Amino acid sequence: MDALLTSNKEPGTAVKQISGSNALLNCLLAEGVDTLFGYPGGAIMPVYDALYHYSDRLRHILVRHEQGAVHAAQGYARVSGKVGVALATSGPGAMNLVTGLADALIDSTPIVCITGQVFAHLLGTDAFQETDVVNTTIPVTKWNVQVTEAKDIPAAVAKAFYIARTGRPGPVLIDITKNAQNELTPEIRYEPCTGVRTYRPKPALPIASVEEAAALINQAKRPYVLAGQGILLAGATDELKSFAEKTGIPVACTLLGLGAIPQDHPNYVGYLGMHGNYGPNVNTNECDVLIAVGMRFDDRVTGNVSKYARQARVIHIDIDKAEINKIIKAEIGIHADAREALAALTQRCDAQTHPDWMASFRALNDLEYEKVVKKEIEDTTTLKMAEVIHQLSSLTGGEAVIVTDVGQHQMVTSRYYRYQNPRTNITSGGAGTMGFALPAAIGAKVAAPNQQVVAVIGDGGYQMTIQELGTIMQDNIPVKILVLNNQFLGMVRQWQQLFHGKRYSFTELDNPDFIKIAEAYRIRARKVTAQADLTAALLEMLESPSSYFLEVVVEKEENVFPMVPAGAGVSEIILEIPKDKT
Amino acid sequence: MNKQEFTLSIVADNNFSILNRIVNVLNRRRVRIKKLVAHEMEGNFRQGGALLLLYTTPDLMEKVKHQLEKLIEVEQAEYSPGNEQFLALVSETAKLEAA
Repeated sequence: MDALLTSNKEPGTAVKQISGSNALLNCLLAEGVDTLFGYPGGAIMPVYDALYHYSDRLRHILVRHEQGAVHAAQGYARVSGKVGVALATSGPGAMNLVTGLADALIDSTPIVCITGQVFAHLLGTDAFQETDVVNTTIPVTKWNVQVTEAKDIPAAVAKAFYIARTGRPGPVLIDITKNAQNELTPEIRYEPCTGVRTYRPKPALPIASVEEAAALINQAKRPYVLAGQGILLAGATDELKSFAEKTGIPVACTLLGLGAIPQDHPNYVGYLGMHGNYGPNVNTNECDVLIAVGMRFDDRVTGNVSKYARQARVIHIDIDKAEINKIIKAEIGIHADAREALAALTQRCDAQTHPDWMASFRALNDLEYEKVVKKEIEDTTTLKMAEVIHQLSSLTGGEAVIVTDVGQHQMVTSRYYRYQNPRTNITSGGAGTMGFALPAAIGAKVAAPNQQVVAVIGDGGYQMTIQELGTIMQDNIPVKILVLNNQFLGMVRQWQQLFHGKRYSFTELDNPDFIKIAEAYRIRARKVTAQADLTAALLEMLESPSSYFLEVVVEKEENVFPMVPAGAGVSEIILEIPKDKT
Repeated sequence: MNKQEFTLSIVADNNFSILNRIVNVLNRRRVRIKKLVAHEMEGNFRQGGALLLLYTTPDLMEKVKHQLEKLIEVEQAEYSPGNEQFLALVSETAKLEAA
């Protein structure tokens, strides 16, 4: 049933009239919203005018670009588990949200974006700052709606929040015409939405499939769990641990699944994917039963699908039915909430150990240590990205919230930061959005003011949303910014070296003085160019009570290994650069 | 896998943009739409239906069905091979319109 709207007055008494804008803000408060990330403009001005009177109840953070608002809302949502909210005006304001909406859709992040729109009578007339926001954002939202009358605002908000946070979470957009923001409407008692007739977010647990899966797992000699973000979204980290501990099954995490199981847990065997650990990738093609939980077999995880786990009998647990059999055919598909499914499986699975199988991961990872890790964090003479992240991990005990951008630094952070807790790895996964980290870190810090929040960014991505330093300055948000500067768009350069004959086509960056820029925004800043200064600089950054910018100049043409080359299978992962590519 | 005709029948809430949402899913998967009939439900303009004659592989048809069912407004998406059901449903709808 959609939201019920009832008057808060006794029968026979006059109902107070309020503006659509006030109704909107009352609805947000009723949904438990405490923070908005936004940028004003013509078509959203009535909402901003109303917001002036809500500053004691709703914190508004003025970003410097609407893309910053949507990424900040994502960071807030990913850390808190609550719905993040962004505000923007019509036309270009709304269009600047599109990248973030696409990012939130593919990475299942619950956010609600509210956009102002031109007056209803001007819709479709090419009015000033009019764009067709609803039709533009259909492919990048879980749901969207246009509201043209004030009376429809509460029901739209209730439905939006319900859809954003239930089932497989995702972004929702509400486009509100200016007349609807201005019009008066009866003040009503807000009732949250508890269901939508055509939407079934939580499937019933298919017990028969669970029993079939348990039987398969009980017979398996080399079972293997691939843990995705669905574990974190379902709050199933304890259930995953119990399942792994009882069954003795090794667990590897996807990029967004990092943190689903502590990285010092004995069943954790590493990180999956193109630049993941050696053992988890190689053994994907050795396991006999593959148990994928809350993950969607992204091509960065599977490599060449025709060479992926052909020997394995696949069990796929996902709350999104469309993900099951989409990429990898599952012998047993379990369309269910990960928490319920894992709890039910644990009950039905035998207590087992798989010592030889587990040892095979260790042996492969030891090989990776000798060939890659040792060279990056022990036998180094120059500053390498891995050494920086390894030290950051040690100094924070793997307990900080780490927000990464996209590229080499992201892959290195995923490999070397030892995440201990859920909701501490915030990154742009499916969309690969450069420019994500700085604003997302702002949102993350606002959501978790008592946690250390470090944005790790490359010099390329940093400059895509660098204007958000202004937001950090104005709102005194004590985010720590760690830029690994190799003066290149490093990952593209790596591909150019390996697959394009070392033709570095437009990937070298002539960077500005980042220290001066940070200081211009009144952010304490330091630059490190020598290994000897690294630990002290990291400590200074971590101990700073206010925001801090640390630039580490790293080796210019460093490559990230291991790597599953484009078109190769996961077991064809390479540990070092082929001789003909050096 | 060989491509063939399928009749896809969708029942959905009749909101603005619902046709766009449906067509978006098909376009993104590059499924060819040979014919399309959309209509309000008799006696309930808040619900609508769409009949589509598609040309695609059985595998993709099944995947697209689940992606269509993810749309919040879509109550049901069912398909059958061939165009017979499409023609029969169109004829039935036309008779209802005439009556």
